[in-house]
Amino acid sequence: MKVSYAWLKEFVEIRETPQQLGTRLTNLGLTVDALEPQAGDFVFELDVPTNRPDCLSHLGVAREIAAAMGSPLKLPKFELREKEKLASEIFSISIEDSDLCARYCGRYIAGVKIGPSPEWLRTRLEALAVRSINSVADVTNYVMLELGQPLHAFDADKLQAQQIIVRRAEFDEKMKTLDGMDRDLNPSMLVIADAHRAVAIAGVMGGADTEISDATRNVLLESANFDPASIRKTSRALGLSSEASYRFERGADVEMARYACDRAAALIQSLADGSCYRGVIDVYPRPRIPVTAMLRRQRIEAFLGARVEDTIVERILERLGFTAKHTADGWIIDVPSHRLDVTREEDLLEEVARHHGFDKFPATLPTWRGYGSGLPRESKERMLRNHLAAAGYTEIIPLAFSDEATERKFSSDTEPIRLLSPIAEDEGILRTSLVPTMLRTIQWNTNRGTRDLQFYELGKIYGQTGESRRLILAATGALRTKNVHEEERPFNFYDLKGDVEDILDVFGLRLNSTSEPVPAYYHPGRAFRDGDLVACGELHPGTLEEYKFRNRVYIAELDLDMILKSGEQQPIQAIPRFPSIRRDFSLLLDKGMRYADVQEAILRLGIPELVRIEPFDRMETGPFPESKYALAISLTYQSPERTLTDAEVESFDKIILNSLKTRLNAELRQ
Amino acid sequence: MSSNDGIGRLRAIEQQFDTERASVVDRKALEDTRARYLSRKSGLLTLELQNLGKLPKEDRAEFGRVANEIKIKIETALESLQTSIDTVDKQRTLEREALDVSLPGNRRRIGHQHPLTKVWKEIEDIFISMGYTVEDGPEVESTYYNFDALNIPLTHPARDPRDTFYVAENLLLRTHTSPVQVRTMEKTQPPLRIICPGRVFRRDPFDPTHSPMFHQVEGLVVDEGITFADLKGTLERFHKLFFGEHTNTRLRPSFFPFVEPGAEVDVSCVFCDGSGCRVCKGTGWIEVMGAGMVHPNLYRFVNYDAQKYTGFAFGGGIDRYTMLKYNIHDLQLFFQNDMRFLEQFP
Repeated sequence: MKVSYAWLKEFVEIRETPQQLGTRLTNLGLTVDALEPQAGDFVFELDVPTNRPDCLSHLGVAREIAAAMGSPLKLPKFELREKEKLASEIFSISIEDSDLCARYCGRYIAGVKIGPSPEWLRTRLEALAVRSINSVADVTNYVMLELGQPLHAFDADKLQAQQIIVRRAEFDEKMKTLDGMDRDLNPSMLVIADAHRAVAIAGVMGGADTEISDATRNVLLESANFDPASIRKTSRALGLSSEASYRFERGADVEMARYACDRAAALIQSLADGSCYRGVIDVYPRPRIPVTAMLRRQRIEAFLGARVEDTIVERILERLGFTAKHTADGWIIDVPSHRLDVTREEDLLEEVARHHGFDKFPATLPTWRGYGSGLPRESKERMLRNHLAAAGYTEIIPLAFSDEATERKFSSDTEPIRLLSPIAEDEGILRTSLVPTMLRTIQWNTNRGTRDLQFYELGKIYGQTGESRRLILAATGALRTKNVHEEERPFNFYDLKGDVEDILDVFGLRLNSTSEPVPAYYHPGRAFRDGDLVACGELHPGTLEEYKFRNRVYIAELDLDMILKSGEQQPIQAIPRFPSIRRDFSLLLDKGMRYADVQEAILRLGIPELVRIEPFDRMETGPFPESKYALAISLTYQSPERTLTDAEVESFDKIILNSLKTRLNAELRQ
Repeated sequence: MSSNDGIGRLRAIEQQFDTERASVVDRKALEDTRARYLSRKSGLLTLELQNLGKLPKEDRAEFGRVANEIKIKIETALESLQTSIDTVDKQRTLEREALDVSLPGNRRRIGHQHPLTKVWKEIEDIFISMGYTVEDGPEVESTYYNFDALNIPLTHPARDPRDTFYVAENLLLRTHTSPVQVRTMEKTQPPLRIICPGRVFRRDPFDPTHSPMFHQVEGLVVDEGITFADLKGTLERFHKLFFGEHTNTRLRPSFFPFVEPGAEVDVSCVFCDGSGCRVCKGTGWIEVMGAGMVHPNLYRFVNYDAQKYTGFAFGGGIDRYTMLKYNIHDLQLFFQNDMRFLEQFP
């Protein structure tokens, strides 16, 4: 809200510069967002908290300043001359729906001469970015900015049957508002009506038909109090908000309605002539119920952390308009009508803290027993992150939004969580897989010239059945780039598989080589899957093409919960006391035979002294039949109890080679 | 044959060796020289010694003594030549092996942790060291936990579908991590001191200062005797640990439905140290958090005794703290994941 420095000074004596006052306002909780000089004055842009509608006026802000400075608050002085004739004799006001309108004050002013406002009024309004219209309309705005009470002026002669009825709109009732728009109304909205039709949307905007014009002679001035929730709902429903609705939504002071009505009438009288009929037509079906709250002396120290002198507490509250009466352990406080936010002790404690000054309270640390701790699997997660960084993977955090068509390609069987009102078409759901966001990240980088990438993300995926954390690894381009020391070495499938094995190793997990089918976005011949634990491999060439990737892309998806849930440290083995013996063999295998078959055939023999099998060379062609390939493996034997003899080892070799021959038709290459 | 002749020849060999030794500069010459004089078959000295038997008996001793003296002399000289040749050889090898050590090292690729994670973990560690426990919770939340149980009225603008992502009538993407506080309070009686870091969502289009997804850390302490002064002290200590001991913290009154008194929390500007700059708009302060004493209405939702317990709560953006810590001015950088950005974080 914009506030004028000069105007504030009409209500309270201010010796501070605008800058000093700005700091004071900020420290009171009325944050100054901007302070600008304006035609000999200064204008504050205040961020008024939503619970303080009483500060949406110059009087309200001045009250805070007066309380803080210890100066008296001065109300505006005005003189209202009334005619003999009672307003209620020529005009009637009734409230049909008092649940939505607690009070309606009206004044009848006859014989006005509508014209432009005087210079001082126009300047003041325009400094606060309010457009000057005519003297009467300007007065209603002026008094609203001054006292916080929204007002409306009707051309009384356009109100049929000289009456105002405050009622809910009828089904399909229509009205043209001041801004020239036709509005469709319904019974959830409160309207001001005359005998026949709605003439204003209560608390939101007046109607065009009854607007003050140059021809207006008689004015019906409205100063009412409407239900905040109803105003908000109507304003939302119509997509129409105004300075009035802004204030009513937050709550106006019901006791201010009558005073503001008189204040505005007096101003209209002095600026547009006219004579005011006697009396306010004050319909007040739901009078305010007085609010009292307790404040205990001991609670101030217990809650705020320091004692505050009784005299200071009383001074603060009284200057803010509260009435404090002593009780045995503190005070009983009467809450003034403008403080809709105060109903209980904590509200009063806040007032004391705020006006005494937050800086007056010490900075202490709570004392307590006990200890702090991270999430249950935090240390394992950090171990994983460190391991990934050491392995060359950089962490990414992409936005979790995606589009359904893309997600379907990567996780067809997840029912996604759809946003009811997404910002963009392609951000309509929460991702169901980490793959598309990862591919988009790779795309972002390759499009900008970074081709060699290793990324990981430890992030959530979402579905109708819940959210879970997953780990994804991705790599593309060169593992080692060409430099003065060595040649380029592209990242390949086995690099990725090795990284996956390393990670699983850290957590005591072992990869089971299975031939389960892999998802369709993987290269069918260059990927594998181990249950729900891992899917891993090269991206399908079709997917590469779709994303316009020039290099192969490798991804591995891992179930983070399974990884972190595991992770029991394996028992540490003593260093073997007896030497191991390594034997190398070159086998000729049928093309299509998998290493896993060889390994399995050897392991099933159950030779306890065989501690390690390792393939170390593979030749697709050579001096052997085309239907074969050569695989060199090394076998390591070791016994924890003694040094193995040559004869023993040879007998193991023989058993193994015989078994490979019979089971797999594997020849020993001579 | 007289012994004088014999000794004369020995001396001649000695003289010849003395002349020749200067030209022995490498291993080959050394071996040639050794062979020429001392070879068991054809060495000059060896051959001469074979004449020993032909000498008169009385001359043999003298001849033998001289021959031996010369042999030792040659051997000693060859040994010292050997040593110096070895030294030179080793030196040459070192010279030959010299590398251009000014070439850059051959570095392995090391991955980088995302700055948001770094700061997230740093904040966690500070609070853990101060005795807090870390809690988390779901990102898809009910309106009950996200709004109702936090005293946020039905009419509050934050509930508007223009500001919050709804996924069903009473289900939304949490707009703060406060639901975790409520969930924790539901299952734990005080004393309670927790922080809830996590991902949150608001319906703000992506720009340098807004993102529909960002990260928050919120804290909650409920116990007997917790005061507003404790809130001040806690945030002051946190900021000193996070930004450095020179950092000041200031609380300004503000309003949030779930706290009272509510406060905006400022730190002395990390860029100008409070003297006023473009970033802090000349004020010397930067707003980093919202905080306050827990509103007693919240205790009703979780069955805490509001007369017995008091508490404070605070919350700030991990993204914002990261921007301040690393002097980053565009929030979008965090979510674009451009390698040229990420690799700057060791």
